[in-house]
Amino acid sequence: MNIVHRPSDETLAAFAAGQLDEGLAVVVACHIEADQESRRRLQNLEAVQGALLDKIEPVAMRSGPCDPNADVQTGSASDISEAAHETGMPQVLRPYGFGPWRPIGIRIAMRRVDVPGASARVFMLRAGPGIALPHHKHTGVEWTTILAGAYEHEYGRYAAGDFDEADSEHDHTPRVDPVEGCTCIVAMTGSVQLQGWLGRLLQPLVRF
Amino acid sequence: MVPALALTVDGMRKAGAGAQGGRFIALFDPNRLIAAIAHSGDRDAFAALFDHFAPRVKGLLMRGGAPAELAEEVAQETLLAVWRKAGLFDPAKASASTWIATIARNLRIDIARRETRSRLSQVYEILDEEAPEQPDATLSGAERDARVRAAMTQLSPDQYRVVELAFIEGFSHQDVADRLAIPLGTVKSRLRLALSHLRGRLEDLR
Repeated sequence: MNIVHRPSDETLAAFAAGQLDEGLAVVVACHIEADQESRRRLQNLEAVQGALLDKIEPVAMRSGPCDPNADVQTGSASDISEAAHETGMPQVLRPYGFGPWRPIGIRIAMRRVDVPGASARVFMLRAGPGIALPHHKHTGVEWTTILAGAYEHEYGRYAAGDFDEADSEHDHTPRVDPVEGCTCIVAMTGSVQLQGWLGRLLQPLVRF
Repeated sequence: MVPALALTVDGMRKAGAGAQGGRFIALFDPNRLIAAIAHSGDRDAFAALFDHFAPRVKGLLMRGGAPAELAEEVAQETLLAVWRKAGLFDPAKASASTWIATIARNLRIDIARRETRSRLSQVYEILDEEAPEQPDATLSGAERDARVRAAMTQLSPDQYRVVELAFIEGFSHQDVADRLAIPLGTVKSRLRLALSHLRGRLEDLR
């Protein structure tokens, strides 16, 4: 994987601090899983948190330590969904459920990713070679991690592992790789003004 | 009593006592305490870690706007997790403070977002578990931490404050701008500059 597009410092810092909306965080995590460089930057930003913890003004605890052995750990019940075992599926998606692939046009399909508690909508999109994704503008953000194949738009070519951090200032028309097609995971916030027939199909995905 | 000990650490740190501080740090050695828990379930080591870190985790959460009760719960749970996971702590990957800060982050998410059935803490754990071995990694967690801390001291006080607020209280620029009574654009550019400075200083950390 030759990754060239990475999250901004600020996005990675917000991820490290646990401050991102869960839907956006999941898409960032899919990228980090694939990218050694972003993983290293994440470790540095986590070390910033460690340094801040050392410098913080302590606040006295009301009670002392509990008996650590009395602690009954139920463990986070991770019900792993069937889809999470499919090949090429990022490991970080294991805790989540998925909807079925639904065709939403000719050679375009999408599937819902259920991220409870997220305000962003998360979905996977699979598009056949050469397809032009709908031209659109949005008020929120639209973050994408490419899982397979590639697309290209005004800001460059995005291939497997790349992270595309588009905000309201971006106005793009991605064109899917003419040979490989493209599978990606997307998180969207805000409202989107979509144009064209595919735009109308995608519209229900976007929360206002 | 251990709490008195913790107060002494603070006093010394604030006084910036170089040699004495250095001597004291040798006394409070979280890596050794965590190892003692892992090897022999050492209760005294646990108490010492608790007295040092629980009030800091609580302080961090409260600075971030969490109610005292929630902050207390996260601090308790964080230290219990330190007890349980002591055997998994790898000083080559992260310093004790950094490791404990990430545990606290995950538990804050679990507990604060309990009602939404958030799974985000599992995502962080999977990322951590799946981390591939880095044969060329020459930097230990402690060295990484030292470099990160050194880079942080080179931030201007204004930049430091913005980074601190963003990490602890959130990345909403408007909130930070309100807190510091500076324009929104200034917050954005300061944060961007500070983070790019940190990245520049750490670029060769491989």
